[in-house]
Amino acid sequence: MNPRLVGSLVQKDLSIFFRNRFFAVITVLGIVLYLVIYFVMPKSEDATLTIGLYAPAEIPAFDLLGEEGLEFEGVASEEELRQAVIDGRIIAGISLPADTLGRLLAGERPTINVFFAADTPQETRGAIEAVIQELGYRMTGQSLAIEVSEEVLGPDLAGTSLPPRNRLRPLLAALLIMVETMGLATLISEELERRTIQALLVTPATASDVFTAKGVAGISLAFGQAALFMAIVGGLNQKPLVVLTALFLGAMLVIAAGFIIGAVAKDMLSVLAWSLPVIIIFVIPSIGIAFPGRVTRWVEIFPTYYFMDTLHRASNFGAGWGDVWQNLLILFGFDLVLIWLGVVVLRRRTR
Amino acid sequence: MIEGAIVAEELTYSYNGLLAVDHVSFSVAEGEILGFLGPNGAGKTTTVKMLTGQLRPKQGRAYLLGMDITQHAKKVQGQIGVCFEVTNLYEQMTAVENLKLFARLFGIRRFDAEVLLERVGLAGRGNDRVETYSKGMKQRLMVARAILNRPKVLFLDEPTVGLDPTSAEAIRNIILEERKRGATVFLTTHDMLDAEKLSDRVAFMNQGKIVALDTPHNLKQKYGRRALKAKVLSRDGELEDREVPMDTPETPRLVQELFSKEKVVTVHSEEATLEDIFIEITGRGLVE
Repeated sequence: MNPRLVGSLVQKDLSIFFRNRFFAVITVLGIVLYLVIYFVMPKSEDATLTIGLYAPAEIPAFDLLGEEGLEFEGVASEEELRQAVIDGRIIAGISLPADTLGRLLAGERPTINVFFAADTPQETRGAIEAVIQELGYRMTGQSLAIEVSEEVLGPDLAGTSLPPRNRLRPLLAALLIMVETMGLATLISEELERRTIQALLVTPATASDVFTAKGVAGISLAFGQAALFMAIVGGLNQKPLVVLTALFLGAMLVIAAGFIIGAVAKDMLSVLAWSLPVIIIFVIPSIGIAFPGRVTRWVEIFPTYYFMDTLHRASNFGAGWGDVWQNLLILFGFDLVLIWLGVVVLRRRTR
Repeated sequence: MIEGAIVAEELTYSYNGLLAVDHVSFSVAEGEILGFLGPNGAGKTTTVKMLTGQLRPKQGRAYLLGMDITQHAKKVQGQIGVCFEVTNLYEQMTAVENLKLFARLFGIRRFDAEVLLERVGLAGRGNDRVETYSKGMKQRLMVARAILNRPKVLFLDEPTVGLDPTSAEAIRNIILEERKRGATVFLTTHDMLDAEKLSDRVAFMNQGKIVALDTPHNLKQKYGRRALKAKVLSRDGELEDREVPMDTPETPRLVQELFSKEKVVTVHSEEATLEDIFIEITGRGLVE
């Protein structure tokens, strides 16, 4: 591979990309649109909290709390309660053992298990503890010592309130990256269909130079836009290196998808037809982050889950290398396998 | 030591078991123009692809400038120029940008695109996007791209097909200038005029094999039938055609009889064309 030749080819690819009006417009408008979407989203969190409750014995005091504006959702088992917290359907879960009331009335200290989601803010945790104290007071008419056993499900990311706009941030960054699949696939498809690649391959440039240049151009476009977006919306304020690494590895997924689609597509329309389902599948994991509880663990089969999850935890909760290294490793593995697959498909097509 | 700018030894290629090029051997001397003729599907393009390193031969070897193309493809490709039959330019870019890109790929540091564009008759249009060019202009730009690295071997695939006479003549002149500079030219064409005007030797390819290779003159001598064509006035005042073969022992007597017994109005000699010779050898035409 010759860096000088790759540089010339990258320059050519970027020049052609921005001369395609469609891609030039969606690139520039895309970033502007996503910034607008981000800034019009509420910057504070909705105060409505739904708390899960597992209570084998009937405890009338909860009905009274419900009347005062707190929203409780009853579940059938402690396991279901844990899952609801993990899925994000409830902000916290309270598990009241069957003997709670009896022990309270007998003057003993019952243990109440409380489960929090990883991203439940500290203020909310405090409020829920207060709710439990209130519950004891209402049941016995006096302030009682209750043993509260807290368990955080998943890595503890408490301490930061998560406004909707920040919850949406990984989705917007992912969309910016994924849309570039179409641009890269079109560059490749045109190179093959117009046979300009033949002209390149009878010069000192090798197929590796040409493919590397395409990859670099694709990464520059995808990573550059997403990094710019994240910088503007404050996504790089916490753990910037982790966030940038995640963006880079996410952009590598675009290269793989672009290679495969570019090799099979015949023109820009077929590039669009192939790209849209891929983009939709790839962004599904970010919906789980933007709207917790809407998708469950099956999204982990998508390579983009590890990209989105890292982006979410690092940019929203300051998760460091130690927290997300497994995600990054898995993502890198997906990148290598998919890029290898893309190169194989492309090489077959260029023969 | 391999003699010749291009040497093909038993070159063979098949697509999914279908033999496209069948043990083809030939050589082209430095500074020579070889016309490579044959109908569609004869194996010309596959041969060119093997010679230029785009395809690896299934059997046999190809040497360019003394180097085995399969082993030294990139080194060889740095010293050759290829003009494809199908237009494959970056149409969204200008002519100057196209040429500068390829100049960079060939490692040419001091490159004046305008001089080259003037040479191919595109002066003043260098900064226009290629998509605004006519077919003839695009073909001229393709030729300019093929010669920008001053190649030692130049491959041209149907460089004048479908062009207006001015563009075609411009390209013929460039081919002759390149030969004058010392380049070896491998010219694939259907155009008999091009082949005859430009080629030092021509090779006829048919069904994957070279069926004849010689100078146009020698091929005509060997396979062509010369004749005298005459128009004579009949007794009832009508013009009639007469033909006298020129290469038989009877020719002198037949010519004498023609002039003594008939009223000859016009007479001219007629030579076989390369097309005639191709049909003579293969039983099929060049353009099918």
